[in-house]
Amino acid sequence: MSQPHVMPSLEGEKLTLDEVGPRILIGGSILGVVGFAAAIAIGVGRNDHLASLGWSYLLNFAYFLSLSLGALFFVAVGHLTRATWNVVSRRIGEVVAVNLVLMAVMAIPLMLMASRVFPWASGLTHAPEELLEHKRPFLNLPFFYLRWVVYFAIWAGYAVWFWRQSVAQDRSGDPRITMRMESRAGLSLLLFALSVNFASFDLLMSLDPTWFSTIFGPYYFAAGVVGFFSLLTLLTFFLQSQGRLTRAIHVEHYHDYGKLMFAFVFFWAYLAFSQYMLIWYANIPEETAWLLRREENGWGWIGLVLVFGHFLVPFAGLLSRFTKRLRATLFLWALWILVMHWIDLYWVVMPEIRPLDPGLDSLDLLCFLGFAGFYAAALSRWAGAHSLLPERDPRLQDALAFENA
Amino acid sequence: MSSPDLRPPIDPLDNTSDDPTQPTTLVLGGHDFTSVTDTVASIAENPNPPRAWYIAFAVTASMTAMLFAMIAYLIVTGVGVWGLNNPVGWGWAIVNFVFWVGIGHAGTLISAILFLLRQRWRTSINRFAEAMTIFAVICAGIFPAIHVGRIWVVWWLFPIPNYQLVWPNFRSPLLWDVFAVGTYMTVSLLFWYTGMVPDLATLRDRAQTKTRAIIFGILALGWRGSHRHWHRYEKAYLILAGLATPLVLSVHSVVSFDFAVAQLPGWHTTIFPPYFVAGAIFSGFSMVGTLLVPARKWFGLKEFITLHHLENMNKIILATGSMVGFAYATEFFIAWYGGNPAESFAFVNRAFGPYAWAYWIMVSCNVIAPQFFWSKRVRTNTVAMWILYIFVNIGMWFERFVITVTSLSRDFLPSSWGYYSPTIVDILTFVGSFGLFFMLVLLFIRFLPMLAMAEVKTVMPVAHVSGESKPIGDYHGDIHILPKAPKEAT
Amino acid sequence: MSEGSKVYGILLEFEDPQNLVVACRKVRDAGYTRWDAHTPFPIHGMDAAMGIRGTRLPLLILAGGLTGLALALLMQWWMNAVDYPFLISGKPLFGLPANIPVTFELTVLFAALTTFFGMWGLNGMPRLYHPVFKSARFRRATADRFFIVIESDDPLYQTEGTSDFAASLGAVAVEELED
Repeated sequence: MSQPHVMPSLEGEKLTLDEVGPRILIGGSILGVVGFAAAIAIGVGRNDHLASLGWSYLLNFAYFLSLSLGALFFVAVGHLTRATWNVVSRRIGEVVAVNLVLMAVMAIPLMLMASRVFPWASGLTHAPEELLEHKRPFLNLPFFYLRWVVYFAIWAGYAVWFWRQSVAQDRSGDPRITMRMESRAGLSLLLFALSVNFASFDLLMSLDPTWFSTIFGPYYFAAGVVGFFSLLTLLTFFLQSQGRLTRAIHVEHYHDYGKLMFAFVFFWAYLAFSQYMLIWYANIPEETAWLLRREENGWGWIGLVLVFGHFLVPFAGLLSRFTKRLRATLFLWALWILVMHWIDLYWVVMPEIRPLDPGLDSLDLLCFLGFAGFYAAALSRWAGAHSLLPERDPRLQDALAFENA
Repeated sequence: MSSPDLRPPIDPLDNTSDDPTQPTTLVLGGHDFTSVTDTVASIAENPNPPRAWYIAFAVTASMTAMLFAMIAYLIVTGVGVWGLNNPVGWGWAIVNFVFWVGIGHAGTLISAILFLLRQRWRTSINRFAEAMTIFAVICAGIFPAIHVGRIWVVWWLFPIPNYQLVWPNFRSPLLWDVFAVGTYMTVSLLFWYTGMVPDLATLRDRAQTKTRAIIFGILALGWRGSHRHWHRYEKAYLILAGLATPLVLSVHSVVSFDFAVAQLPGWHTTIFPPYFVAGAIFSGFSMVGTLLVPARKWFGLKEFITLHHLENMNKIILATGSMVGFAYATEFFIAWYGGNPAESFAFVNRAFGPYAWAYWIMVSCNVIAPQFFWSKRVRTNTVAMWILYIFVNIGMWFERFVITVTSLSRDFLPSSWGYYSPTIVDILTFVGSFGLFFMLVLLFIRFLPMLAMAEVKTVMPVAHVSGESKPIGDYHGDIHILPKAPKEAT
Repeated sequence: MSEGSKVYGILLEFEDPQNLVVACRKVRDAGYTRWDAHTPFPIHGMDAAMGIRGTRLPLLILAGGLTGLALALLMQWWMNAVDYPFLISGKPLFGLPANIPVTFELTVLFAALTTFFGMWGLNGMPRLYHPVFKSARFRRATADRFFIVIESDDPLYQTEGTSDFAASLGAVAVEELED
């Protein structure tokens, strides 16, 4: 079956974006500006004090944030476990993680709209005043802002630190940099877990101030990791279509991308099922209301789309070794999962806003385009003139020669 | 080992260097295939084990006898011999069940999940951990079975047609347990046995007596190392690992459902499934460590179960311990955030109520104790790690005690609150289950290959054929003597 | 196609995996089909050296798992909703959330049992007797030595020619196996 493996040579491999970078930067910026300009125009026209715009913005903010958080997890856990195979794609992960800097900037409009967007701040909620009063020590705007400053200090701080260290190693080749990153990865993941947990409460769970679920943080995390691995696959294929990293990342690495997508699709489903089943079974009114809203007025169909589209179908599709090793199928599944991840967040956010109408709002898509444009532009900006490969990582040779047994 | 140098000698059994430019050595002491086989097989072949083995066996066998005596007493008298009463109807039996099932998670984690993650260091410890899993699950299975009260109708738990034409209730999480633990036991056994067949063949081929040759001949199924067999064998092993991985998640999740589907404050919380799984891995690794640290010393296996192996296990204990602490914190926060007075009371009651002593034992053993593993010196010191393992074992038992008992003893109605205490029968039954567990471990060490010989051989450098790619990750080689890595400047 | 039914085949012994793999490539290239290598542990790269193709085991296992899945759902539905319907704790007679755990467990159980029995079955085991066991030398196949066996019913097998070919493979010992 497997031919004796030949070590891929990096001779003549194009390792920087060069002329591709500016094209993405300009194209993405234009898309971002146009998307948001249209969204703002429509949003202002709604005459709802920008509330609809804020919700669509929130949905897409949560989406792109989750992708970069997934990337930060990928980078940090790779260091923690001293992984070898992922060295070839680690730089892509680092760059996606550094987009947390962009997300920190993109958080500012959300913070400005927070008093309209979050029901506990706007008062547009059925939650009893007594309950809101009970939660006030946590759910109040000043503390909310402070928390987001802390979250982004942790996320962007670590993302930039890992990326800078890694880029510095391209020049110095010093293995101590690897050791330093490894020794700090543990603490970074601890802070990551705590901050992502609370960020998910703030951003998504608090949209229904009466509802609570202790598994919600892991659920958002798992969804983000699935999304990131799909994005990583797409970015890899995109770079390769531009003639970059064509030999450094090969079928053995695709296979691992596929396995990770498969594993996290399953893990996501496990968490989703645990949350659903436990609430369904105990049938306590203050918990089931959240699920009930997602089963009535047509939202149930979107739930079914998730059961099949976010779990059963990609699970079956990625089960075989064959589909994980074939570029075409892997590409399709990565794209599919990224779409499903968006629908998943749509299902989390929008029933709180439009419980009677599961249909798409044009603002949802325009905000998506806006975010996507800026996200891509920023990615090319960080990738910049640096190598797309951690060229002098001590494990690079092993990662290049890597082969699935 | 090329050029002589003047650097100070370094412990030849210390392979815990963090230098990323050097491969980690997994088998020390310059072993070759022959010496690996001899070292490991001779432990199981020794006709005269050390006297300590007999003493340990006598003690644990007596404890096992006590266990069965207690069970017999329970059956002829009734579950009233335990401290169970209203309002606490689930006492030590359930605590012990969850405790033992949790311990039984390390084996499959090591054999399946670490296998899928290409953690090649697992080869030295997986056999032992798998055996331990099976024994722990046996201990676990005893408790719910004798807890049902009328043990002679325990077969009603299975979908077997009976004279009343009644079927089991599949909507009950207690029945899910039957299927989850039953499947887990079966799959663990298949996995363990499949992995052992090539080694059983080794024992067959080395047999000096007819009896041994026949017994191991049958157990080895006629294995002859054919590569056409290895080919399917490896595929099957990979798939079994792929099946066991979600299974291991499911088993403790199902155990957590026993609690979490209820409406009882402190039990009903959605994070229970992943939190129980993390706790199970945490306790399981600690129990593996508790046994391995002395075993590697007594049976001269320090060259196979190296400090690197132990250090990795300690890192996993630190990681899972932190996850458990994370879950405690989330639960506490949501208990307040949810705004349900009964729920917040349940948590305040845990920390400051009549069982506060148990709660703080749990927190200090499970959350604080493993934090010492942030230090490399602690991670690589066998005495220190062993003490921490004991703390974790204690802490994880108390975790289950806290969950089970505090919520039951004080639920919604203050008029039906109570305080639960075990009886001497509870205590002796639990102590007896340790006897059974250790007795089975002793028998395993005595008669079966404790290390997966065939697998250990694959991580030795001589196993790699030039012209073929080198498997990724750690591999064996002579120990590399390096200067201590310079401390990073901060 | 046989040379004297007494002879099962020829056994070649090697001291290390490198030489074994090189020899296997030569046996493969010489066109033999009924032959095998015996090793104490699986050697990476041997599938290619021996020209072994994939196994159909995964398909069997998929079928086993799906059988378990279907059986579990059918059983729970029939037992709790049809044959002995009873309401408990306000749950539907057959409601998927409560039936998924058992369904999952039985899927895994059936798939695992198929893996186990399928693998041994395809390998033709248990088979307690085999001509190779007659060789005292072969006892080290499960410890530290590496062997090739070329069977006498291979179409290319000739007593003289195969022995000469075997001798050229660099084995440390060559032995004729009786059937």
